[in-house]
Amino acid sequence: MPSDIRSFFGGKPAGSPAEKPAAKAKAEPKKGRGRTRKVVEEDEDEDEEEVQPAKKATPKKKKAPEPEPERTEETTADDFFGSTSKSKPKRSEPAVKARPKTRGKLEAQVDDEAMPVKKGSAANGKSNGSTRGSARKGKKVDTYAEDDFPDDDLLEGAVDNAKADAAVGRRMGDDYDEGTDDEDDVPLVPKRAERSGRQKKLASHDQDDYDPEGDVEMKDTNADDDFVVPDEDEQIVVDRPAKTTPAKAAKKRKSAATHDDDDDDDDMEIEEKPAAKKPRASPAKKATPASKKQKKEEVEDSAEMKAIFESIPTITAPEPPSKKDGDEKPKFQFGGQHANSAVPSGAIDLSDLPQGEENCLAGLAFVFTGQLQRIGREQGQNLVKQYGGKVTGAPSKKTSYVVLGEDAGPKKLETIKQYQLKVINEDGLFELIKRLPANGGDSAAAGKMAEKKAKDEVEIKKAAAEMEKEERARLSAAKPKPGTAAAPTKGDGQAVPTSAGKQAASGPDTRLWTVRYAPTQLSQICGNKTQVEKLARWLRAFPKNQRTGFKMAGADGSGVHRAVMIHGPPGIGKTTAAHLVAKLEGYDIVESNASDTRSKKLVETGLKGVLSTTSLMGYFGRGDDAAEAGKKRLVLIMDEVDGMSAGDRGGVGALASVCKKSSIPMILICNDRKAPKMKPFDYVTYDLGFRRPTTDMIRSRIMTIAYREGLKIPTNVINALIEGSGADIRQVVNMISTAKLDQTGSNMSFEDGKDMSKAWEKHIILKPWDMVSKILGGGLFNPAAKSTLNDKQELYFNDHEFAPLMLQENYLGTNPQRTNAYNANPSMKKLAQLDLVSKAADSISDGDLVDRMIHGSQQQWGLMPTHAMFSFVRPASFVYGSMAGHQTRFTAWLGRNSSQGKLMRMLKEIQGHMRLRVTADRFEIRQSYLPVLWELLVKKLQVEGKEAVEGVIECMDGYFLTREDWEAVVELGVGEAGMEAVKIETQVKATFTRMYNQQSHPLPFMKASQVLAPKRAPAKEKPDLEEALEESEDEVAGEAAPEEDDEAEGDLSKDRYVKQPKKKKGKAAAGGAKAGKKAPAGKGKKKKSAEDDEEEEDEEEEVVKPKKGKGRASAKR
Amino acid sequence: MALLVDKHRPRTLEALSYHPDLSDRLKALAASGDFPHLLIYGPSGAGKKTRITATLRALYGPGVEKIKIDSRVFQTTSNRKLEFNIVSSNYHLEITPSDVGNYDRVVVQDLLKEVAQTQQVDLAAKQRFKVVVINEADHLTRDAQAALRRTMEKYSPNLRLILLANSTSNIIAPIRSRTLLVRVAAPTIDEISDVLGKVGKKEGYKSCEPLEKRIAKDSGRNLRRALLMFEAVHAQNDNVTEKTLIPPPDWEALIEVIAQEMIEERSPARILQVRAKLYDLLTHCIPATTVLKTLTFKLMPKIDDSIKSDVVRWSAFYEHRIKTGSKVIFHLEAFVAKFMRLYEGNLMGMDMDEFDD
Repeated sequence: MPSDIRSFFGGKPAGSPAEKPAAKAKAEPKKGRGRTRKVVEEDEDEDEEEVQPAKKATPKKKKAPEPEPERTEETTADDFFGSTSKSKPKRSEPAVKARPKTRGKLEAQVDDEAMPVKKGSAANGKSNGSTRGSARKGKKVDTYAEDDFPDDDLLEGAVDNAKADAAVGRRMGDDYDEGTDDEDDVPLVPKRAERSGRQKKLASHDQDDYDPEGDVEMKDTNADDDFVVPDEDEQIVVDRPAKTTPAKAAKKRKSAATHDDDDDDDDMEIEEKPAAKKPRASPAKKATPASKKQKKEEVEDSAEMKAIFESIPTITAPEPPSKKDGDEKPKFQFGGQHANSAVPSGAIDLSDLPQGEENCLAGLAFVFTGQLQRIGREQGQNLVKQYGGKVTGAPSKKTSYVVLGEDAGPKKLETIKQYQLKVINEDGLFELIKRLPANGGDSAAAGKMAEKKAKDEVEIKKAAAEMEKEERARLSAAKPKPGTAAAPTKGDGQAVPTSAGKQAASGPDTRLWTVRYAPTQLSQICGNKTQVEKLARWLRAFPKNQRTGFKMAGADGSGVHRAVMIHGPPGIGKTTAAHLVAKLEGYDIVESNASDTRSKKLVETGLKGVLSTTSLMGYFGRGDDAAEAGKKRLVLIMDEVDGMSAGDRGGVGALASVCKKSSIPMILICNDRKAPKMKPFDYVTYDLGFRRPTTDMIRSRIMTIAYREGLKIPTNVINALIEGSGADIRQVVNMISTAKLDQTGSNMSFEDGKDMSKAWEKHIILKPWDMVSKILGGGLFNPAAKSTLNDKQELYFNDHEFAPLMLQENYLGTNPQRTNAYNANPSMKKLAQLDLVSKAADSISDGDLVDRMIHGSQQQWGLMPTHAMFSFVRPASFVYGSMAGHQTRFTAWLGRNSSQGKLMRMLKEIQGHMRLRVTADRFEIRQSYLPVLWELLVKKLQVEGKEAVEGVIECMDGYFLTREDWEAVVELGVGEAGMEAVKIETQVKATFTRMYNQQSHPLPFMKASQVLAPKRAPAKEKPDLEEALEESEDEVAGEAAPEEDDEAEGDLSKDRYVKQPKKKKGKAAAGGAKAGKKAPAGKGKKKKSAEDDEEEEDEEEEVVKPKKGKGRASAKR
Repeated sequence: MALLVDKHRPRTLEALSYHPDLSDRLKALAASGDFPHLLIYGPSGAGKKTRITATLRALYGPGVEKIKIDSRVFQTTSNRKLEFNIVSSNYHLEITPSDVGNYDRVVVQDLLKEVAQTQQVDLAAKQRFKVVVINEADHLTRDAQAALRRTMEKYSPNLRLILLANSTSNIIAPIRSRTLLVRVAAPTIDEISDVLGKVGKKEGYKSCEPLEKRIAKDSGRNLRRALLMFEAVHAQNDNVTEKTLIPPPDWEALIEVIAQEMIEERSPARILQVRAKLYDLLTHCIPATTVLKTLTFKLMPKIDDSIKSDVVRWSAFYEHRIKTGSKVIFHLEAFVAKFMRLYEGNLMGMDMDEFDD
C-alpha cells in the first residue's frame, strides 16, 4: 500500500522510479505518529498534560518528514498569495499536511472528553499555529452543543430567548456539519487503517460514540459546502476569524473512526493535489492570531441573523409512533415513503415559489420528510439546492431544519425528537429563503461555508497551476527529445521537470478537453480509488504471481487471475484508469477495442503474437537503464469487450480462454458485466466494478478545469451538470467545453446548467416496464414535478403499442396517492380507491374505443395522441402512487390473445367436423355441446379408465371427431373442466391412442391445404376423379359412415387413409407404398403416443403431397 | 352414436313441434315455386337451422339431405390464402363467411358469383335455382353485406339466399328490405319441456316433468341446450327426481365463481384475480358478451335491489363497448371495477358522485 501513504503525505503517488523519497516520508511520519498516539492515551484523564504532549508531538512530526520546516511554511505562504506554485515547495507539503491532521485528530478525541482542555488548547493554539487553535474551536462548539442540547426548549415548547439563540447558533454550526452524511458518508480510509489500530480504539473509548462520527461528517460537510458556496474573497477575510472550519476540516480528516471507502476517496482526492493542501493550512494559520475569546463570540450568529432564525415559524413534529406497532411499520413505510416524494395535492404554482437572495441558505442542511402540502419534495430539494443549502436524506444531529410534511417516517420523527431538531413546514422554508441575506449573511454556518469556499478556490487555483506546469512540461518534453518525456512519470507527482518554466506553450492546444485534461496521475482519477489501487496492486504482483504459477490468491484474491475485468457505466474513467495504471507500473500497452475485429480466429491468432513477446521499448527506450526488466513488459488492454458483437463470432469465448493461459497481464473493460454474453468470463477474470463517482469527487476536478479555461461556473451549476449527466465525467467536460464556446466569459446560471444537462440528457427509449412504472410510480403527477401533459404523453410514444397494454396490466398494483386524503378512515379510503380504479378502468375502456378507430377500418392515426391520453395518461392520473410491493408485470394480453386464437382455430376445426351432424355455430358448440362432450369423452376416460375407451371412440366417430379434436376438447375446458384438472392415466391414454389408431374412422372432409397439392397435377382429370372416387366409396366408407349423406365425404376420408399409412411406412422405413384400404392395417402396427401424433400430423402434411397423387390413382384403378 | 339433439332432430316441416304458424308459412313458400330470399333470425337453440333444412327438403326432396363438406381456398388481394369450408348438397350450399373474419367479403363475392353464374344442371331438380345458406349473417362485415345486396337482385333467377342471424340489428337495411324476414322465437318453457318429454319417452327415460321444467328454465329457453342438459342429467343419474342436480356447463360454473368473488371482496387485488378468470373464459372461446350477460345475471340475486338497475345499466353500457371496441377484456374489467365501486358505495351508503373531481 505504499502508494496510499505516499499520496497521503506527498500528495502524489509515486510511480516506481519515485519510490525512494516516498518511502522515506512514509517511515518517518509513522514514528511521529506513534508518539502522538501514546501521548493521547495518557492524556485522556488529564487535560492540562494532554496539551503539552500534544505540542511536543507536533514539532516532532514536523521535523520528521521535513528537513526544512521553515522553508516549507514560507513556501506555503507564497503559494497562498501567489497562487502559481513553484516546483520546489511541493516537497515540503507533506510535513505541513501531516501536522495539522494529526493534531486535529488528537484533539478531536480529547475534546469529546474534556471541557477544561479549552484553555490549554487556546494557549496552544496561539503558539502552535492555526491547526491547534482551530481544532480547539471546533471542539468548543461541539461541547457546547452537547451541553446545551438537553436544555433546549424545543422539547418543552417554551422558549427562553437568549438561550434559544445560543442554542440555535450552536446547533446551526453542528447541524451544518452533520447534515452531510448522505453524500459523503463514506468513511474511511486506508490512511486510517494504517494509522494505528490504537487510535481507533481510543476513539471508541471516548464517552460519546457519535462524536467521532460527527467529526467525520463535519469534515465531509465542509468539503461539500465549500464548493457549494460561491466565494467572495473579502467575505472570507472578514469571516475567517469567526469560523472554525479549517480546523474542523483538519480535525475531521484525522478523526473519523468508522468509515467507508468513499470517504477515503474524498480525502485522497483533495490531498492528491499537493498545492491544494498547503493553502488550507496557511489560512488557518493566519486565523490563529485571533484570541480565543473573540473566536468564541464570533462563532455565534450575529443579532440579526439570530432574529431571522428566530422568526422562522417552526411547527411541532408529531410524536413518532410507539414502538409497539413497530414491527409492521417498516414495511408499510416502505411504500409510503415513495409516495411521499411525489404528490402534493394542493401544490402551488411554480411562479409562487419565493425568490431569495443568492445562496441565502448557504451552510444550512435540510431534511425533507413526509408529504408536503404545497410543493413536491423534489421541488423543495431543488429549491434548497438552488439557494446553496444542503439536502440530506436522513435527519441527524447536524440537520439545521427538518421540512416536515404529512406521513413522515416514524424513524425520522424519532430522530427529530432525539436531537430536538428544528422542524418547519414549507412556509418556514419559504420564509427562510425570503429573509436570509445573500450567502447566508453572517451566520455561523454561512461563514464556515464561505471560508471553505475560499479554501477551495485556492486549492483549485493550485491544482490549475499544477496542471499548467505539467502541460508545459509535456510540451517541453515533447519538443526537445523523447528522453525527457518520461520525466513527469518519473518524478511522479512531485517534480515538475526543471525545464518546465523555460518555454511557453507554442500554439493553441488542439486536443479535446477530455484528452487534454485526462488524469496523468492516479490521484487525479475521480473516484473508485480502491478499485484503481487493486488494479495497480494486481499488476504489480503479476510477475510474482506468474512465477508461482498463479497459485497464491494473495490478500485480495487477485493472485490467481491473469486477467482483470473492469466494468462500470460509461464516462467514469475505466479506460483512463487502466491506461494510467499500466503506464505508471511501467508496462507498455497493447490495446484492442471495438474498432478492431475480434472474432474467434483473430483473437486466437492475433493474440498469440502479443502474448509471447516482450516490448522493444525496454531496449530502445533510454540509454543507461535500457534493458531494465520493467520496461520489457506488456499489458494487453482489451477495451469494450461487450462491444464484441455479431461480427466477432466466438470472440468472447476465445478471449476468455486466452485469459486462462495468458502470460502477460490482460485488462478487459466492459460496461455490463452481467450481460449474458459476458458469462464466459465468470471465474476467469478478477472483477473490478467501477462505480459512478459522487458529485463531490468530480466537482473539484471540473472546477479546476473550468478555472484553467477561464470559465466562471458557480458550484451549484457544476453540481447540476454532474447530476444531470449521471456522473459521467467525460460528458461534463464536454459540456463545459461547449459552454465555453457558447458564452466565453459570462457566467452560467443554475437554470442554464439545468437546461444544459437536460439538453444533453441521453435519450433512451424506455422499456415497457420502465414506462409504466414511471407514469404510475414516478411522481409525474405531482403538480410540483414540473412534468407537463406533453411529457406524460411522450412516455406513451416510447412504445405506443405496449404502453396501453402495460398500463392496463399494472394499474391495479398501485397504492393510489389520491386516496391519502382518506387515510384516517380506512373504509372511505377503500371506497375512494375503488372509485379511482373504476375511473381508470373506464378510461382504459374509452381508450380501447379510440384504439379501434386507429387500428380498425378507419385508420385514423391522427388520433394517437388522444389514445395516449385515454389509454395511458388519464388512467394513470387516477391511480398513480407507490408501486411498492408490486412487481411490474408484462402484459398478459398478448399471450392470452394468441392462445385464444389457437383455441378458436381448434374450435373451428371441431365445428367443421361436427357440421354434418350439428347445426350449431361454433359458439353454440362451445357453450352447449362441449360441456356434454367433455363429460362423454374426457371425464369418462378419466373415471372409468380403459373400459370407456370403446365408447369414447364410438362417440367421436359419431361426430366425426379426430384424435386431435379430442385433445382440443380437453384444452377447451375451463374452470373445473380445465386442462389442469384433467388427469387421465397415461396407460389409459395410451390404450385410447392405440385403439383409435387401429381403427378406421370416418372423416367429413379433407383439409384444403392437403388437397391442394395433388389437385394441381391432375387438374384436368379432376371431375372424373371425383366420380371415380364416389363409386369406390361404398367399399371404403361403408362401415364407418353408415349414413347415406356421408357418402360424398367418404371418398375424401379414404384419401386420408391412403395418406396416413404411407407416412407411417415411410417412417418405419418400409418402402412399399400401398394404396387404399390396406392402409389401416399398416396403421395398426404402430402405437403412437399422443405427442407422436401431433408430430406426425405435421409431417403428414408435407409427406402426403407427393404420395397422394399415387393414392388417388390407385383408388381410381 | 349421436346425442339426443341430433338423433331426434325433426327432418320435415310437418314434424316440427312448435311454431305451427311458421311451419305452415314455410310450407306454403316452398310449395309456391316463388321462393323469396329469407332472413331468418332468432336466438340460438330456437330451431332456425332445423326449419331451414326442413324447408329445403320441402323444396328439393330428400336429396338435399345428402350433404358433403368441401374445402376451398380463396386468395385475398394481399395474396393471403384463406381456407374455407363449404357444406353443400346438389341443390344448395351453406357457408359461414364469418369464419374468415375480415376477409368475408372476398368469399361472398367470389363464391356467390360463381354459384349464381352457373345454372342448375340437374334437370330432375324441382327448382331452377340453387339456395345458398349464409350462417351467422349478423357477423358479416359491412363490406360483405354491401357485396351481397346487388348479387341478390342480379342473380335472383339462379340463386336464392337464406340468411341466418341471431338478430337483425347488424344487418344493413338494404339487405333487410330485399329479404323476407322470418322470426323464429325461442320456444316457451312448456314447449321445451314438452319436447323433452317426448324425447325421453322415445329414449325410454323415466319421465319426470318437474325436472324437465327446471331444465327448460335453466337452459334459457334454448332447446338445444335443454336437450343436451337433459341428456347429461340422465347420463349421470340412473334415477332422476325433481331435485336432481343439473350440472351447469363448465364456463357457467366459472362465471358463478367470479360473481361470488366479486361479492366477497372488493379491492384492486380481487379485480386482478377476476381478470385472470375472465381471461380464461375469453381464451376458451366464450364470447365476451355472453360472459358479461351471464355475469350480470349471476350477480343479480346477490345484490341489493337499489343498485340492480345501475348494474344492469352499466352492464348494457359495457356490452355496447365490447361490440365497438377491440380488446374486450378492458371493458369487462371496467364493468367489474364499476360493479365493485357501486357495491361498495351501496354498502357504505355513499353516493356515486362523492369523489368526483
